[in-house]
Amino acid sequence: MTRKLLILLLVFLPFFDPNAYRVDVLATAALYALLALGLNIIVGFAGLLHLGYAAFFAVGAYTYALLNLNLGCPFWVGLPVSAAAAGAAGFLLGLPVMRVRGDYLAIVTLGFGEIVRIVVTNLEEWTGGPNGLLGIGHPVFFSYNFGVDSKPYYGLLLVLAAVVAWACSRLARSRIGLAWVAIREDELAAECSGIDVARFKLLALGLGGGIAGLAGCVFAAKQGTVTPDSFDFILSVMVLAMVILGGLGSVTGVILGAAVLSIAPELLRSFAIYRMLIFGIVMILLIRFRPQGLWGTAQIRKEMKGRHVSA
Amino acid sequence: MNTSSVRSATLAAALFFLLAGCGKPEAVVRVGFVGPLTGDQAAHGLDMLRGVQMALENVKSQGEILPGYRVELSVLDDQRSPSQAVSAAKRLASDPTVVAVVGHLNSSCTKPASVIYNEARMLHVNPVSSNPEISRQGFDNFYRVCPTDDLQGPAGARFAVEKLGAKKIFVIDDMTTYGRGLANEFMKKAKTLNVQLLGHEGIAQGEKDFTPLLTKVKSLGADLIYFAGMFPEAALLIKQRRELNVPASFLGGDGLYEPTLIQLATPQAAEGIYLTTLGADIHQVPKAKQFVESFEQRYHHMGSYSSYAYEATRLALEAIHRAGRPERTAVLLAMKGIKEYPGILGVHTFDEKGDTTLRTIGIFTVRDGKFQFLEAFEGKS
Amino acid sequence: MSSSELFLQQVINGLTIGSVYALIALGYTMVYGIMQLINFAHGEVFMVGAYLGLSVILAAGLQAPAAGSLAWFLFLIAVAAAGCAVLGLIIERVAYRPLRRAPKLSLLITAIGVSFFLQNAVMIGYGAQDRYLPSLLPAVTWGKGAVTVTPLQLMIFVVAFLLMVLLHRIVYATGFGRAMRASAQDPLAARLMGISVDKVTALTFALGSALAGVGGVLFGSHYSTVNFHDGYLTGLKAFTAAVLGGIGNIPGAMVGGLLLGLIEGLSAGYVSTQWKNVIAFAVLVLVLLFRPRGLLGERVAERA
Repeated sequence: MTRKLLILLLVFLPFFDPNAYRVDVLATAALYALLALGLNIIVGFAGLLHLGYAAFFAVGAYTYALLNLNLGCPFWVGLPVSAAAAGAAGFLLGLPVMRVRGDYLAIVTLGFGEIVRIVVTNLEEWTGGPNGLLGIGHPVFFSYNFGVDSKPYYGLLLVLAAVVAWACSRLARSRIGLAWVAIREDELAAECSGIDVARFKLLALGLGGGIAGLAGCVFAAKQGTVTPDSFDFILSVMVLAMVILGGLGSVTGVILGAAVLSIAPELLRSFAIYRMLIFGIVMILLIRFRPQGLWGTAQIRKEMKGRHVSA
Repeated sequence: MNTSSVRSATLAAALFFLLAGCGKPEAVVRVGFVGPLTGDQAAHGLDMLRGVQMALENVKSQGEILPGYRVELSVLDDQRSPSQAVSAAKRLASDPTVVAVVGHLNSSCTKPASVIYNEARMLHVNPVSSNPEISRQGFDNFYRVCPTDDLQGPAGARFAVEKLGAKKIFVIDDMTTYGRGLANEFMKKAKTLNVQLLGHEGIAQGEKDFTPLLTKVKSLGADLIYFAGMFPEAALLIKQRRELNVPASFLGGDGLYEPTLIQLATPQAAEGIYLTTLGADIHQVPKAKQFVESFEQRYHHMGSYSSYAYEATRLALEAIHRAGRPERTAVLLAMKGIKEYPGILGVHTFDEKGDTTLRTIGIFTVRDGKFQFLEAFEGKS
Repeated sequence: MSSSELFLQQVINGLTIGSVYALIALGYTMVYGIMQLINFAHGEVFMVGAYLGLSVILAAGLQAPAAGSLAWFLFLIAVAAAGCAVLGLIIERVAYRPLRRAPKLSLLITAIGVSFFLQNAVMIGYGAQDRYLPSLLPAVTWGKGAVTVTPLQLMIFVVAFLLMVLLHRIVYATGFGRAMRASAQDPLAARLMGISVDKVTALTFALGSALAGVGGVLFGSHYSTVNFHDGYLTGLKAFTAAVLGGIGNIPGAMVGGLLLGLIEGLSAGYVSTQWKNVIAFAVLVLVLLFRPRGLLGERVAERA
């Protein structure tokens, strides 16, 4: 009981925190947790190495931004639409790349991510080009406008992350989750035992994309601005690092990974220019001593022992 | 509840309390400064920061700014990236001790950040982001101490046509708010001057190889290349233009006004290029003499944008002083009362958009490896 | 400038940048061949190579090209190659070897960690701004009509080609090469045959990193500016080139690099600079859809 209280306290404490910067860091951590949960479905569950995840995030953010600015679409309508749009993007990406495997899939998804970013940059008339879109509406809950304060976004992201985390752990234990494990471990064997490999891969890309779309929509509403430089390759790599560092396939793990990798650079701020240097060393050390991830499950550890997850 | 949740809770607790270590309220009031302090445009950003610091020191030495409060700077880095700029703006906006902000360098950073400062009702004095659109957003908290690109672009076009005799111009920009805006203003004016615009293309910041584009420019027979962008890319364009024997002359905007440009492009290749700048040569402005001397004594060279950052900071501090209270709305109100402010660049009056009425555009060239002032255009919008 | 001259010049432009991609791609491919590891830190090693060149120039107080410049230039390349080889050995030792038995993807984390470390170490040491790297080769342009080429451009191309041939010889005609191929194919069997897989891996790393160092100096001299960010974009392109040609395949890296450079150059010259990277990545995706293992990648049965 005390443990539950402790967790509740930790989750709710920021709502009473007068330091807005700290709350913003936590809200960003919650946003990353959402992204990491989504990518975990693709990489952790289905074993598809994806290096262009930021593209789905961008699709979600720009979908809401464009709907809000052009049609005055409210946030709560934009949220499911953005998720659907990004999910569709995941699905569409999946259709042609089914043939490509492993590291080749990684580079195709990387190419996809770069193409989306550059196209968004170049289609100035719609997307505002490199300058992005400004003045995107904040969410309004009944008569309460979320505004620029990070607290309500922190709350919203917590709720979304909790729901997605719950859904993911249910999914992992369902028939679908088992099918993904089968595909991840041995695609050929899975196919031979009657699993429709293509369908399950598409499902993973669609779901993972949809979750990134949710995150993108909240991000656009929170920042009030979207610019293409928020969706670069570094973001894709960082979210992937959160998933791997946390523990591939483990829901608790990837949340933890997201928290560590998004909060650590902020904690290191006092090191000034040495900050990212130290962050690099921290990453090397963390994985050196927890190669299976901070929260790698025993199953994952066994499954992945010396084997290429994306083969 | 199992042991794993306990472990995660403990870890989360540890992280939270580590974060909780920073910041407690005191009797301080802060002025924010945001600019590119790292990254390829750090040279400009650091020059600006020096101007900001010097302004605070000078004003402090003339007496207390706000009785009972220590005035400090809150310096953040935007790495010239719009998303970083927005994050920095949100950090300043959420800190109630920050009552005014000076920044940013790049228009692409200033514009999205200005939305945040406006929502936070914070005084925003901008030193050098010259894109005209920024002040057309209708924000009453936005002030700007430099002339804008609807003056700089036309001045460049007139110089290109009337003084350089350009007939066929190719326009390149760096696809930022600043670059694209300046290029458009240049072309708008050029079209009225009976010249042929051969083309207009964007390059990406951070890229290095522009030879295909320059080869195309050469094959089109351009006699002038106009580049609206910053010095790192300009340097590469200038050098590669020489390597490809492109005969066209080269004219750029104020983003090129940084001595590093000549070194990076090599003095041989940079010889004879032209650029427009915001304001005339600071060394020839009488009121700025004292500032220039003390700045050069301390830092050995005058930064291109230091005087603007200095001016903007002095204005912000003046508004805080006049407000007499460490509150954003009071500071904003006080700023509205400032008329005919005697600065080092001249006497500033701000129009309804918040732009200064000082509208001088300078023209420079590179001679013997150094910037040389040619003439000043009095801009009209 | 006639249209054929224009085309020729654009091909030269494309081949120049393509040769740089090829040099870096060779290193990517070698490391991948033996460890099946996408060494994301490789682009950073390339960047360090350029800064090693800069350090020598600063230390020796070299300026514009003078008598003996060519010798200095070769010395610069040698220093960068040696320095990067040592760096490669250290990276392998510190970041990769301890994780030999760990899940493959965990190596991605260390690669990113190493990238952050190197980028920021260079930024702290040399500053964040672009630094000027004087070219030691004469700044003349050789031209026939409207087409021009600089000695350095020619040198980049020749060096890339020679190193590719040399590498190919090493891999297919020396004992070390045989050991490399054996370790790549089956590390356990190789060990049983008395091959020190550890040593072979480390040497492969060193060799790949040395190539990146050479590429760094040539790149820095050609553009005359270096920045701590340079490794990122160029590294990404080189990785793309390696995959385009068929990762793990040495002539493939060369073909992929040159092809990518040409695609970029021609699309920038004839279509639009803004769209060149979209075109380049679209070609990559298309090639992989029809040849899932790259242009020269061998067809391997399911589950290689």
